[in-house]
Amino acid sequence: MKRFNLLIIIGGLLVITLASCKSNFLNYQPKGVVSSSQLNTPKRADQLVTAAYASLGNDHWTVPFEDMWPYGDVRSDDAYKGGGGTSDQGGYNDMELFSFMRPDQPKFDSIWFRLYVGISRADEALRKLKTLNSKDFPQKTEREAEMHFIRGHYYFLLKILFKHIPFFTADTPIDSLHTISNVQYTSQQLWGKIANEFQIAVNNLPDNQQDVGRPTKYAAEAYLAKVKLYQAYVQDKANNVVSINKSDLQQVVKLTSDVINSGKYGLLNNFGGDFMFKNDNTKFSVWAVQRSINDGTPNGRVDMGNALNYPMNPSYGCCWFHIPSQNLVNAFKTNKNGLPEFSTYNNSSIKDSVDFQNQTVDPRLDYTVGIPTHPWKDDPNFVYEKSWARTPDVYGYYSSMKEAQLPSCSCLKKVGPFYADSKNTVIIRYADVLLWKAEALIQLGRQNEALPLINKVREQAKNSKGSLKYSNGKPISDYHIETYKPGVNCTWTKDYALKALHWEDRLEFAMEGKRFFNLVRWGIADSVMNNYFNTEKARHQFLSNGHFQKNKDEYLPIPQNQINFSHGLYKQNYGWK
Amino acid sequence: MKYRKMFALMVCYSILFLICKVPSYGAIPAQQNVKVSGKVTDASDGSSLPGVNIVVKGTQIGTATNAKGQYELTVPSSADTLEFSYIGYETQTVPVKGRSHINIALKPKTVIGKEVAVVGYQTEKKADLTGAVSVVNTKTIKNSTYNNVMRSLQGHVAGVNILTDGTPGGGTMVNIRGLSTLGNNSPLYIIDGVPTTSGLSNLDPNDIQSIQVLKDASAASIYGARASNGVIIVTTKHPKNGETHVDVSSSITSEDYATKLHVLNTVQRGKVLWQAAINDGVNPSSLPIYSYKWHKNSNGNAVLDKVIVPTWVSKADGIKAANTNWYNQISQPGLIQNYNVSVSNGTKNGSVYFSLNYNKNRGIIKKTNYNKIVARLNSNYKFLDGKLKIGENLNLSKGRQTPVPSGAGGTPMWLALIVQPILPVHTINGGWAGPAGSGFDDRDNPVRLLDQNQWNKNNSIETMGNVYVKYNILPSLAFKSNFGAEYVNDFNRLIRQRYQSGFLTRNINSLSINENNNLNWDWHNTLQYKTSYKQNHFTFLGGMEMVYKRINYISTYTEKFAIQNNNYFYNDAGTGNRNNGGNDTGFQLFSFFGKVNYNYQNRYLVTGTIRRDGSSRFGSNNRYGIFPAVSVGWRASQTQFIRDNFPFISNLKLRAGWGQTGNQDIANSARFTLYAPNYGNDNTWGPGNGTAYAISGQETGTLPAGFERTQTGNPNLKWSTKTETNVGIDYGFFAQKLSGSIDYFRSNTNNILILPPYLGVIGDGGNQWVNGASVSNHGLEFKVEYQNHIAGLKYDITGTLSGSRDKITKLPKSVFNAYPGNSVKHILGHPMESYFGYVVQGIFQNKQEVQNSATQPGKGVGRLRYKDLNGDGVINSLDQKYIGVNSPKFSYGLNADFSYKHFDLSLFLQGVQGISVYNPKKMYTDFTSIWNGTNYGTRTLNAWTPTHRNTYIPALSLADNNDEARMSTYYIENGSYLKLRSAEIGYTLPKRIQKMVGMRNLRVYVRGENLLTFKDNKGPNAFTGPDPANPNNAYPRPRQISVGFDVKF
Repeated sequence: MKRFNLLIIIGGLLVITLASCKSNFLNYQPKGVVSSSQLNTPKRADQLVTAAYASLGNDHWTVPFEDMWPYGDVRSDDAYKGGGGTSDQGGYNDMELFSFMRPDQPKFDSIWFRLYVGISRADEALRKLKTLNSKDFPQKTEREAEMHFIRGHYYFLLKILFKHIPFFTADTPIDSLHTISNVQYTSQQLWGKIANEFQIAVNNLPDNQQDVGRPTKYAAEAYLAKVKLYQAYVQDKANNVVSINKSDLQQVVKLTSDVINSGKYGLLNNFGGDFMFKNDNTKFSVWAVQRSINDGTPNGRVDMGNALNYPMNPSYGCCWFHIPSQNLVNAFKTNKNGLPEFSTYNNSSIKDSVDFQNQTVDPRLDYTVGIPTHPWKDDPNFVYEKSWARTPDVYGYYSSMKEAQLPSCSCLKKVGPFYADSKNTVIIRYADVLLWKAEALIQLGRQNEALPLINKVREQAKNSKGSLKYSNGKPISDYHIETYKPGVNCTWTKDYALKALHWEDRLEFAMEGKRFFNLVRWGIADSVMNNYFNTEKARHQFLSNGHFQKNKDEYLPIPQNQINFSHGLYKQNYGWK
Repeated sequence: MKYRKMFALMVCYSILFLICKVPSYGAIPAQQNVKVSGKVTDASDGSSLPGVNIVVKGTQIGTATNAKGQYELTVPSSADTLEFSYIGYETQTVPVKGRSHINIALKPKTVIGKEVAVVGYQTEKKADLTGAVSVVNTKTIKNSTYNNVMRSLQGHVAGVNILTDGTPGGGTMVNIRGLSTLGNNSPLYIIDGVPTTSGLSNLDPNDIQSIQVLKDASAASIYGARASNGVIIVTTKHPKNGETHVDVSSSITSEDYATKLHVLNTVQRGKVLWQAAINDGVNPSSLPIYSYKWHKNSNGNAVLDKVIVPTWVSKADGIKAANTNWYNQISQPGLIQNYNVSVSNGTKNGSVYFSLNYNKNRGIIKKTNYNKIVARLNSNYKFLDGKLKIGENLNLSKGRQTPVPSGAGGTPMWLALIVQPILPVHTINGGWAGPAGSGFDDRDNPVRLLDQNQWNKNNSIETMGNVYVKYNILPSLAFKSNFGAEYVNDFNRLIRQRYQSGFLTRNINSLSINENNNLNWDWHNTLQYKTSYKQNHFTFLGGMEMVYKRINYISTYTEKFAIQNNNYFYNDAGTGNRNNGGNDTGFQLFSFFGKVNYNYQNRYLVTGTIRRDGSSRFGSNNRYGIFPAVSVGWRASQTQFIRDNFPFISNLKLRAGWGQTGNQDIANSARFTLYAPNYGNDNTWGPGNGTAYAISGQETGTLPAGFERTQTGNPNLKWSTKTETNVGIDYGFFAQKLSGSIDYFRSNTNNILILPPYLGVIGDGGNQWVNGASVSNHGLEFKVEYQNHIAGLKYDITGTLSGSRDKITKLPKSVFNAYPGNSVKHILGHPMESYFGYVVQGIFQNKQEVQNSATQPGKGVGRLRYKDLNGDGVINSLDQKYIGVNSPKFSYGLNADFSYKHFDLSLFLQGVQGISVYNPKKMYTDFTSIWNGTNYGTRTLNAWTPTHRNTYIPALSLADNNDEARMSTYYIENGSYLKLRSAEIGYTLPKRIQKMVGMRNLRVYVRGENLLTFKDNKGPNAFTGPDPANPNNAYPRPRQISVGFDVKF
């Protein structure tokens, strides 16, 4: 009995002891993570810089912010959404037709968020870099410049998508970000702020980078030129282009000339080469998002932004999104002079095999569009067939070719049901730089100086016919393309030059996620899109509700979530409710 | 001579026996027999009691009183004792003592017996309970074919809502009294004092002694921070003194898939597509796969003559056109086997209980089988004349399930709806057929999915047990210490084999292994002291508790296995890429609690509890939470007034309780600001957050990587607190023939822990747990039971009815869009499970209607017409409203048990009312326009055409130009149902025969489950999905027929 009483006493004592060390018992440290203070070393700060770069590759088919195909192509006259029907990724269908767009469409919110994630990573790195001195970390200034470049890239994307966006710097504490409105700056001021990010990059980046993924000074100049070009077309609050700023254009000319004169960049011999994995980081590529495969991550850091876009051929198998429009295919028609059919191109459609023998076309067509019976990716033994199309009864038979790689490519990866590849996503091609300069020159009334730039691009196209052949050596289509020769095949006025530039831009960059933003910049989105809907809806019934509402549809609405999260501080874009 | 005489006598007796059907006891020698007669009355009012059982103690001789309460019985000896028993009355034993006339007045049971309930660290007499506690009738779970206890409780306990699907061995969601918090609403389970996270799935239902559900805060508050969703307390069996027996039971169940949807066959699919093309003005020759013979009749209407199905889908791939019903291809008749053996031995000095259970379920979806073995050993030993008791409970279980696979397009059940019938299962060469060529969607062959999934297993091994010591220091003072632990090892193996199935292929096979090691232990010590002063009775309970939990996770992934063989898929054999992952997380709780029960004259009851919890999940600013509760009861039936004036009232107790409980359901490290070196994560279905980047342009190999901010800490985090008031009545009338309870509750949950979406500009790691929302809830629960017997037919009918409605009463504005709503309407003031969308006003019947209606992009004849809710003449996102709630207004159950002589019958009906369910399958069963390359339901054959207007299904089309996939009332269906959940007929062998074969009891039975369903079949909101009790894309609940036996030795 006594012994048991003793036990109870011991037990009781144990309880009391435990009670007194309970704060120890409740101590819990999370595993496999670090705190902010553990990141205050040069090495760790540099790793935060890497993490900011990594965000470039965290794009995805739900938020393809590097490839931009839904925002830049599906919204334009170049492409249909594609996929398994109008409801497959229905948010993109809403964007394609415009009529069903609404501020609470979740896709808008996701891309807004992902772009600011990129900015937050650059800012995280900038805040840590700031605490270091150049002695401990000699690359400090350079890395800071890189982070400004990254910030600039994300802000540029936000700007062309949403127009009015909250702008802040890394010095703004995280807990006061909620005080920054999206209308704190005017649209033009915002362009200035974004240009400033790239200016810092231009001022502090080296001419050459050992790591090809880091932007050089010239990459920054090229991006700055792009920003300035957009900035030059001044819009009123209803998105009408009301004036074109000459000094911005002059800067574009200066910056692009710098890039061109650096001698570091050039066009490849073959237009199709720009879209081949093997040419990653060669001279045509001014700045690209680096992709990798078999790198220890679950799927490889492959281009998931385009992962829906492979056709249904058994070597691929999914999901046939991003389908070239008939209008786009028609735009590749050339006349007997080898020049585009500016006004008549869309009067009839070329779509059957025989049409491409009876109608001359620009060779870039067969590097851009998968057409039944035509070889795919200039492999004469790999012929595109109607069966590669998933829903021909809705979207026809074409496929987008530029973002696809051949099944034999070591870069190709099956990810779940999708296919993705590790080909880099080129954000700025050399041809971009040439045509930006040409555009600025034309708008400055110096169209004659623009002529050789446009012709340089056409020259490359002309030289690219060689590999577009069937296995029997016959050309796939009847190619006929010429450079512009004033007095011979055209009259090179400013208006004509501008038309030629617009056309060149469309053909050269078709299906590269740029078209819609160009239309908005040029102030012609409304007329181009409604003309397109009027003709294209007869070809494809799903477009029958397509309608572009001028003074509204130029930009996406500010996501309703963000307006709510900001407690009404953010103001909705013009024309949206 | 002697023998002949005896022989004659025996013959006479035998004849007599046969003719007169003299009962067995009639054969007992006559000279000792004594005739006894008399009358049985109700002691409370003197009325006669018919049907009272009278037995000669220790024999099977007995009778019952007649309609006037009179009886007559021949007893073997005048020294015998008679036992009078009657439902609702106290049993009386009366020695005959040579009397021939015995009148008896039976006293009604004025208390609900001596039943006890386990209510948290102690047991209490049921009669003394003041909170809302349901004691589950464990009979209801005994023969259920499902091996998860909670599954069989559906509809049996008022206020406990259980949602289940048919997955062999899984798929149960339980909530008590509806929803009271955003996020997890699962209750806390306590098995023999040990909290568990795995619910009750690892328990053998036969091992359960009792289940009690602590529903309101005043009852559950002693469990403090984990109790706000209610507590389910389970106690396993410990045999009583003198109980020594062996039980063997077994059952076998056949199952079938009774809820297949009706889908189109190959020709029908061609037909509806043709109709869609005609409706759209598209030339049907542009349709993929099929070709057609058709013409225009004299009215200019298109008439289909013939659907031409090609011979080959793809000759190159060897895929011949077929007419496959994929539901039939994926399903099989199910079979469940269940075996159970238990041995119990109870003595004065302790007891031992040992049991083994084996359950095997073949599944109704091919190759989705499940099996489970459970062993239990409970024992206890008494020392020091029973003052000291040491005991243990140990449960070992091992389960193995082939999980339901998911491929491109979803699970096999979903694929059976959407894969085209023209595809065969196999190619002509025996390979897998699949989508080939245009007109097909990238949807997997569901039979291939199931076949290549058969080696994948989810293994679970659980060890759970506790040891305890209970010492009665003084008769009034008891100390108890209980240490329990649960260790669960989940080991899942997933093989992805190579395949080619049309244009769907996989060239590289792989093996993924996930392993979770889950350990939690609980140690609690209590002291209980009982004292009385005159009519005042007190019980004091004080205690402390420590809870510790860790989850360790490891995953591996290996590619390229040369041989596709189950025995070859092990990590060492893979030659390709490898990848692995892992983490570790957990929490600790440290708590003190106390409870006082006060009872005055057994009439007035007061209970007060308080608990203080400390949790590692909360920062130093708010680490501790205090949860008080108080409840009172008045046993009116104990008062003289009621006894005198209302003798028919056998029990009447009024209860009221108020209490607070907490919820700490957040991530274990939510309070910290954290950065993680996220090298790369799986970004198949959504963007990743990797920090690795090929900065130098390298194509492969290890990449430089950094850190990402993953969350923002919150040192001010604290518990969410639910405050609940409950009032209730327990009643019993006519000597408890009619009894039941009524409860009303109202609760408010404040400071609900939420992880709100945040302002986008914050970017990475803006996630921050906050105490942000409030939810109120209120509801009613009824239970009524009537038991009686007429002429040997005993019956017991129990009904439950409960309903509750929650409402979000506070929510940060920034969180509105995390819930359905638009820019002007938000979830505040609505139930959590609300649907939001457009209102369909039928189909546009003619051009006139189209012209006169509001502007609606895509409107047209035959299309759905949406209601202009705000009357502005335009249909846009502002024309949406809350269109239904996905939780029932009330649910009910009705259980009826009958027994007559050796037969017994029980029926159980269960239903819900006032629930809306979202049926996304309708996008496939009703439309050809939303997904183009799939199969559709036969409902499309009933779609609108100019000549067939009397339908709710809009005209077929190839493109969804009217955005009919949008959330609208079209997809909201009436989910109310009434089901005959189970019916069971049993036969118990007569005692005589049992004795002859040496058994104590033998019962055989036939049981059916999920037998009949009544649902809404008419109108635009009719339920069109497979099963209203399982409305989503889940494993179907099969219809089951079982036979089984239960024998005791």
